[in-house]
Amino acid sequence: MPERQQRVQALYEIALSIGGKETLEETADTALAGYLRKLNCSVGGIFRATAEGYEPTATIPADPTGNDLLSAAIDRVAAVSDEALPLHAEPTPDTHYYLFLLPEFGVLVIGKQGGEIDTATRSALTPLNEKLAEACRNKLVERRFREQRNRFEAVFDAIPEPIANTVVENGTERIVASNSEFDRTFGTTTKPPNTTVPSDLEAADTESAGHSRPINTDTDDRRITTETTCETVGGTGEFLFHGVPVDSERAAEYIHLYVDITEQKHKTETLQRYERLVENLPIGVYRTTPGADGEFKLVNQGLVDILGADSKDYFETRPVSDIYADPADRKEFSDRLLAEGAVDNVKLKFETAAGNQIWGEVSGIVTETDDGPVFELAVQDITTRKERDQQLDVLNRVLRHNLRNALNVIDGSATMLENQLSGDNEDLNNHVERIERRVSNLEELSEKAVTVRSLFDQGRSTTTACDVQALLTRVAEEFEDRHPEACVAVDTPEESLYVNADVRLKMALSELVSNAVVHNDRSTPEVSVTSKTVERDGEQAVEVVISDNGPGIPEHERQAIESGEETPLQHGTGLGLWLVYWAMSLLGGDIHIDDADAGTRIVLRLPQVGISDPQQSDGATGMTINSGD
Amino acid sequence: METVYSSARGDTLQTELAELGRQTGVDGLLLLATPSVDVTTDRFASILRSLPVPVCGGLFPQVIADGERYESGLLAIGLPTEPTITTVSELSDADTDLDASLPTKGSEAAFVFVDAYADPDGVGSLIDALFRTYSVGLSVVGGGAGRLHDEGPCLFTADGVIEDAAVMAVVDQPMGIGVRHGWEELAGPFRVTDATGGTIKALDGEPAFEVYKNAIETSTDATLRRESFFETAAAYPFGIGRLDGEPIVRDPFAVDDEAITCFGPVPEGEFVTVLSGEPDALIDAAEQAADTARNTEAGTDDAGTLCVFDCISRQLYLRESFDREMRAIDTPAVPMVGALTIGEIANDGTGHLDYYNKTAVVAAVSEDA
Repeated sequence: MPERQQRVQALYEIALSIGGKETLEETADTALAGYLRKLNCSVGGIFRATAEGYEPTATIPADPTGNDLLSAAIDRVAAVSDEALPLHAEPTPDTHYYLFLLPEFGVLVIGKQGGEIDTATRSALTPLNEKLAEACRNKLVERRFREQRNRFEAVFDAIPEPIANTVVENGTERIVASNSEFDRTFGTTTKPPNTTVPSDLEAADTESAGHSRPINTDTDDRRITTETTCETVGGTGEFLFHGVPVDSERAAEYIHLYVDITEQKHKTETLQRYERLVENLPIGVYRTTPGADGEFKLVNQGLVDILGADSKDYFETRPVSDIYADPADRKEFSDRLLAEGAVDNVKLKFETAAGNQIWGEVSGIVTETDDGPVFELAVQDITTRKERDQQLDVLNRVLRHNLRNALNVIDGSATMLENQLSGDNEDLNNHVERIERRVSNLEELSEKAVTVRSLFDQGRSTTTACDVQALLTRVAEEFEDRHPEACVAVDTPEESLYVNADVRLKMALSELVSNAVVHNDRSTPEVSVTSKTVERDGEQAVEVVISDNGPGIPEHERQAIESGEETPLQHGTGLGLWLVYWAMSLLGGDIHIDDADAGTRIVLRLPQVGISDPQQSDGATGMTINSGD
Repeated sequence: METVYSSARGDTLQTELAELGRQTGVDGLLLLATPSVDVTTDRFASILRSLPVPVCGGLFPQVIADGERYESGLLAIGLPTEPTITTVSELSDADTDLDASLPTKGSEAAFVFVDAYADPDGVGSLIDALFRTYSVGLSVVGGGAGRLHDEGPCLFTADGVIEDAAVMAVVDQPMGIGVRHGWEELAGPFRVTDATGGTIKALDGEPAFEVYKNAIETSTDATLRRESFFETAAAYPFGIGRLDGEPIVRDPFAVDDEAITCFGPVPEGEFVTVLSGEPDALIDAAEQAADTARNTEAGTDDAGTLCVFDCISRQLYLRESFDREMRAIDTPAVPMVGALTIGEIANDGTGHLDYYNKTAVVAAVSEDA
């Protein structure tokens, strides 16, 4: 075969080995192998020019350091300029290396032992080298694109929000890629979830198809942001949707980002509900800065109403101390709140817009903000309650002092009158006796009024535990001593049952047993007292039942107790049952008056408490054991 | 290198191989077996396992011992330094990471045997991987193993007998290598327009068999018939051209419809010519290969053994003249051993590593590492 034809064939076959590979390295490696095979050469390399010098892209052998010929060629590559290429050298006899320029990429090195590449072939390699350089450049660009794509895909998948890449074709939008969060949220689908970015976003500046409310549509850069409700794998969710068009030669391509705002929306709605609630509360809620004067930062309608102001504007320029009856109280309150961090039920006198003084009960906390501490406060108008307390104090004094003094005088006068009456004046004796009995009842009523007052003075909470079994036994013994004609039977479980109670429980029990004995019309009053554990509103409770064989409680008195209120037509005859009712209520219990065939059956229930060591105070609860006295 | 040719079997063979393995100066064994040795038996596998030194080898149509060809028996070559034995399995699997299978550098030469019936692309990939990894840094000789008319396990190491694979013994002995064939262009060139692996389906866009038949029948008095394809085609192999060197020979051995199948890959897009060979030219080429091997630096220093891997199809083509080729290669100064292979592998230390057909590969192996 003619040499020229053989050369053309070889060059053609080398050309076949250039291009068509996936990566730059594979492209270079395959082409280099083709050069060496067809030129019958033994070593070679393709080197890429970089700012730092030449970097090997492919070499044969893979490790060029062990081959003297290739090492010599590589040394020369590092020192040669593009203008000096192509270049031929014979570093040792009968070994040759050739350096060829790969335009705008680097240098091709070919080494041959035992012969030369003839000049014509070397010249003919130039177009192949240009083709190789172009293939390498293309692969380099592809690699950069691939790396950029890989970075994009990494970001795409790392974004913790659902994100999808869509295209619009023939008026239909479909998903071409989505991240894992998108698939988790909306499922694996090609259909965008309840959103459609119109192909012409120019028309989307007023209403976007599928979007409930566009927030921002920038027609210049054709982006869209809107809140939307989407169907998700788990139901529906609220999302802030961002649609960003991609600059693409395709018809229309977008990136869709869905920020899940379901929880945020719920929180906002909850906050709005709270704001409405606070706004409409019958108490004043306001925020102020600390200090002797203080500045209002926020007020609700409740405060406007309490202080009789025209509107919230009333508070805008007014110092907080202005609403105090005595502005000095404001400084004292501010200092105390700053010192303690929180206060409860502080009673203060305020002045209304009309100049009237009212009583307010204030609770508040100190909250830290970026601008420093602020007071979050709530005030309740307790003027009416205060006036009622005053009335009660006066009435109590009248009952306890003035009425008792008057009764003592009447009782003494009745006694003198009785002593001076002869025994045969029966009518007058009966009148005196009635006076004495009424006086005694009134004295007893006065005593009970005092007792009732003491019930409330002790408040609602108690930290003491009472052994119900021991208390019942003691109450029964006391009444049997005082009323030997009566029979008071106690039936309780062997183990102790504890309730949260103090002396008020004993007062209630004594009142009930006393009623059962004293108002009993039988010759032998019989009273039965039992206790046991029951379930009350899902909690363990101790139930005490007092039964007697007396005449029973009148219906109107029973109804007054069970309804919790008296009316002119429905009232009791005294304070006894009310005393029991209030004691039980204050201790967290309740009272029921049951129907019975004969006599009365009254049921008391109190929450049971557990006591690990009855001999000791309960360290865990801070509760101490009391006897009920 | 110490060698033993044996026609023994079983325990006797085991004893002879073990004795060779235990000889001083023998740290590894290269076993070249003929089809008379049933390498697929458990007994043969147990013999391999029992040998006191590393072992690898293959089964070939014939072996050469002391300059003579044998169609039966087994030739054992004692390697003076311990070889690194490497097995590349599943050669036909395109996903096999061949580069990772190869041993690290640091040695002088390697004997490489491949299953001649493995996928030609797999064989080509192995050859490419060897060249990319070592280039001329490692002198490689060897060839295709297998029975001439029958596939099956034909390669072995101490781990057993395998097929669709390659085995490699890397040694520290330098060797001078000569590669020549002597075939000359008869017709062509023809562009390979459709090919897969070693199968050519179309030449110049025409059915390959028709083009090939016309080339032979136009240029010679021979007639190519499908039923006697192998016998006629043995005289007219394909040549893949390269500059500054003999073309790479591809030996066609089968025809299926219009497709011609060769031992070794024929890349699509390349040009092939149809070759023919005069016996004297082929024998001269073999002699030149031997001269080249002996006259390289590695071959002249202390050549102790001439390892010959000559193609079985040259023997089938040359017939009785092949013994002249043997004598042309042989020299009284050093023993000549080797095998008649189905395809040859070599680089000559100055050029490209390739898989050849119908080529004489001669290696002058130095005694000293």
